[in-house]
Amino acid sequence: MELLWDGYIEPLVWIVAKILAIVVPLLVAVAYLTYAERKVIGAIQLRKGPNVVGPFGLLQPLADGLKLFLKETIIPTSANKGVFIIAPMLTFILAIIAWAVIPFDEGMVLADLNVGILYLFAISSLGVYGIVMAGWASNSKYAFLGALRSGAQMVSYEISIGLIIISVLLTTGSLNLSDIVRGQIGGVWEWNFVYHFPMFIVFIVSILAETNRAPFDLPEAEAELVSGYNVDYSAMTFALFFLGEYANMILMSGLCAVLFLGGWTAPLPFLDFIPGAIWFILKICFVLFIFLWVRATFPRYRYDQLMRLGWKIFLPLSFAWVMLVATFLVVFDKVPA
Amino acid sequence: MVVQALAFYLFATIAVLSATAVVTVRNPVHSVLLLILTFFNAAGLFVLLGAEFLAMLLVVVYVGAVAVLFLFVVMMLDINFVEMRQGFLNYLPIGVLIAVVLFVELAFVGAGWTLTDEAVAVLAQPTPAGVGNVEALGRLIYTDYAYIFQSAGLVLLVAMIGAIVLTLRHREGVRRQKISEQVKRTRADTLEIKKVPVGRGI
Amino acid sequence: MGVSMLNLGAALPEIFMAVSALALLMLGVFAGKDKAFRTVSWLAVAAQIITVILVVTGEGGPAFFGQFTADAFAQFCKVMILIGSSVGIIMSMKFAERENMARFEFPILITLATVGMMAMVSASDMMSLYLGLELQSLALYVVAAIRRDTIRSTESGLKYFILGSIASGMLLYGMSMVYGFTGTTNFAVLADTLTGGDLPVGAMVGLAFMFAGLCFKISAVPFHMWTPDVYEGAPTPVTAFFAVAPKIAGLALFVRVAIGPFGSVVADWQQIIVLISILSMLVGSFAALRQENIKRLMAYSSIGHVGFALVGLAAGTEEGVTGVLVYLGIYLVMNLGTFAVILCMRRNDRMNEEITDLAGLAKTKPLMAAITAILMFSMAGIPPLAGFFGKFYVFKAAVDAGLVTLAVIGLVTSVVSAYYYLRIIKVMYFDEPVEGFDRNGTEMNVIMAVATIAILAFVFFPNPLMDSAAIAAASLFGQ
Repeated sequence: MELLWDGYIEPLVWIVAKILAIVVPLLVAVAYLTYAERKVIGAIQLRKGPNVVGPFGLLQPLADGLKLFLKETIIPTSANKGVFIIAPMLTFILAIIAWAVIPFDEGMVLADLNVGILYLFAISSLGVYGIVMAGWASNSKYAFLGALRSGAQMVSYEISIGLIIISVLLTTGSLNLSDIVRGQIGGVWEWNFVYHFPMFIVFIVSILAETNRAPFDLPEAEAELVSGYNVDYSAMTFALFFLGEYANMILMSGLCAVLFLGGWTAPLPFLDFIPGAIWFILKICFVLFIFLWVRATFPRYRYDQLMRLGWKIFLPLSFAWVMLVATFLVVFDKVPA
Repeated sequence: MVVQALAFYLFATIAVLSATAVVTVRNPVHSVLLLILTFFNAAGLFVLLGAEFLAMLLVVVYVGAVAVLFLFVVMMLDINFVEMRQGFLNYLPIGVLIAVVLFVELAFVGAGWTLTDEAVAVLAQPTPAGVGNVEALGRLIYTDYAYIFQSAGLVLLVAMIGAIVLTLRHREGVRRQKISEQVKRTRADTLEIKKVPVGRGI
Repeated sequence: MGVSMLNLGAALPEIFMAVSALALLMLGVFAGKDKAFRTVSWLAVAAQIITVILVVTGEGGPAFFGQFTADAFAQFCKVMILIGSSVGIIMSMKFAERENMARFEFPILITLATVGMMAMVSASDMMSLYLGLELQSLALYVVAAIRRDTIRSTESGLKYFILGSIASGMLLYGMSMVYGFTGTTNFAVLADTLTGGDLPVGAMVGLAFMFAGLCFKISAVPFHMWTPDVYEGAPTPVTAFFAVAPKIAGLALFVRVAIGPFGSVVADWQQIIVLISILSMLVGSFAALRQENIKRLMAYSSIGHVGFALVGLAAGTEEGVTGVLVYLGIYLVMNLGTFAVILCMRRNDRMNEEITDLAGLAKTKPLMAAITAILMFSMAGIPPLAGFFGKFYVFKAAVDAGLVTLAVIGLVTSVVSAYYYLRIIKVMYFDEPVEGFDRNGTEMNVIMAVATIAILAFVFFPNPLMDSAAIAAASLFGQ
């Protein structure tokens, strides 16, 4: 009995607790990200944004969530039911499980995988399935077109993301996310974005495309495709897509913070007394702000331009960068052990 | 150990079941989705074997890239499966015959599986001791088998050139965006201000 | 020179070829829209000539931890392959421009295929064998279908591709069996493992599958069905290339696999080779009798030649391998010459492929007819032309190894095959002339002349070829 408790139940309880400690704040963050988005864009466009429900409109996301929760889930008769229902769940689950390897602070990580970055990359490359399945299962032209666009777009930009990750890995010498952060300890000048600045920019643009955000939000281009792949979804199924999309944004911001902005490390050494988790969250917020800022500023790309950017500019650029970094490391004998 | 055994049976069962379903379900899209599920479980089995790097690569490459293209093609193709299966019965006997022959051969071979002593001596080590997964693979691919790796690269290059040679056609009359020309355009090229006297037209 | 070394120098010719192919690709792409076809072609030829020099002067030895061996055998075969493919490119240039297939990728694909062939003959591990073979085959599939707007070319490419993939599958299946039972893919280790002389049954099955796959690649009977269709459908210079370089590479690879890792179990594979050889000779001679299209005829002729060459391998001795190499060298020269003739069968800017189109060539173009006659006599194996000696050496090796029946069947089929070679001569000299052919290109004249002189001169100066072939064969047995 004792063996059972010590060996299985106790660790299990701990793991569940840890998971909850990540997922619950994450969902709250997603809710308030939508709020922040409306506020920021409102401010940029000289509007007020939500300000009715609760003080400063702070309860608005809860109201929205409640509304979606109470609505009726409609499944179109011509839809492929199984796939139709699995798709939003898949999107949501993938957006959540990727967080398992993100290090919030030294040692504060659910699963400190040796191949953490690869895991993250693998999970994010699966994101496309939720969308493609939704588009196909809806049995609607708009949804299908949106899904196809989205699939092609995500697959294209994944390649440059992968190559950028490789060039970061070359300088860090580890696939472990915590090790990648540890390689950047020592202040803002040690952070990777200093050394990989062009790739930092490419990465930011690529994650915009990877998460289907403006100016690359062609999959849900309201103007032509009504709402793209999720046009036939309603109520909770729609909410899951929504949550998934925003959780993905936060995840990608987190990845950006880990890879380029020094993860949990303080920008200046004397600021070390502030807990790493705070720094990490601040950095995520910074990248998220860029997401919102871009959305409010830039018009949407045309599809051929999007593909051109991905394949003809980012791909060669990131390839060249990998070669450059590798050559540099070898020539100056700086290959990390 | 129990957890691992349970995980193994879970992954293995799902992998076998979904692999069977891949070839039996009627809807080709479901087939591809089940194939992805199979890959996924295979990745799980890799993790159990301690080959986490391979597991992730399987997911990234096969699930994340190859199967997506499969899915695209299958979704867009308009295949009539009834028609495709028409010849099935005609070829069934010969197919079964070949399968039986191969199976019997395999059975013979399996039954007579004996390794010579020399063969045992040269068997490759599955996992070198004291070296991480990624490092071990890296050494094998980029040092021990660099030649093979490079040759494989050349093979892929040829495949790429071949695909382009055989399919790329430059269509006439397509208007392509030429960014450099757009950027080079100045006001003088496009605008001309004319004084139009009142009441006379141009 | 340890096996556990990278030793890049030994693979310098291959590396040079691969890198120059990449450079040419860049050149072609940046020049835009096939403008650079001629430049790229000539540069590819230049690269191959430089590679020949690198091969001949190279230090050799094992490289890449025993996956690659640049021994005298490989050197000899590489020189032949390079000659075959560079002449192939030269022959194709004008043809390509006329027939609207002047795409700069063509010489590059041939170059890459040549890299694959060089990797094949140098392979000393099953994995490098397979990759070399695939590199070659993949490039050849594309080259066969390069006239993508003509149905026949596309068909030949597709047929080649599908059947070739099946053959590759068989080869892989066989290799995995051998690996499963011996625990290694390396030829040297494999040879050590099998010294006991008893082949495990699984490895035996694997060996049979591997041979089946290799037989397909050299179009030996019963895996020859694709050959006539592919040879007929592919553009003629491509067929010329197919008939020489890949054949030589495939046979060399066959010899290396049979003699190297499986050299100690000759008894286990000898009867397979004997059977394949007999069948190839029979099909090559009898099926060719009915052919009217000269490219199909050449396809069957090449099947027959493969059969003759395999006679030498069946012997399984050093003498036999020398015979195979000499045979291949002579075969290379004869075939290049013959295809130069076929490429000159052009009337009013259109290609002609029927044997009857040659009618009366002796009257319209006496010199070309004489050259063709010499080539055909040599192909038929009439002394004192080179073709005779090729056959002589392989038959002698077979008789010395005790395979008298095989040699006799070889002689009989050789006589049968003489019929269709002589028929061409008859058509040229005794049939009423049809309208004359167009003027030959200079490069064709040069190729024909060189081939003819080589065939005539072999009887007087056999030593360069004989000696280097002997050294090459010795290097294979010296291990």
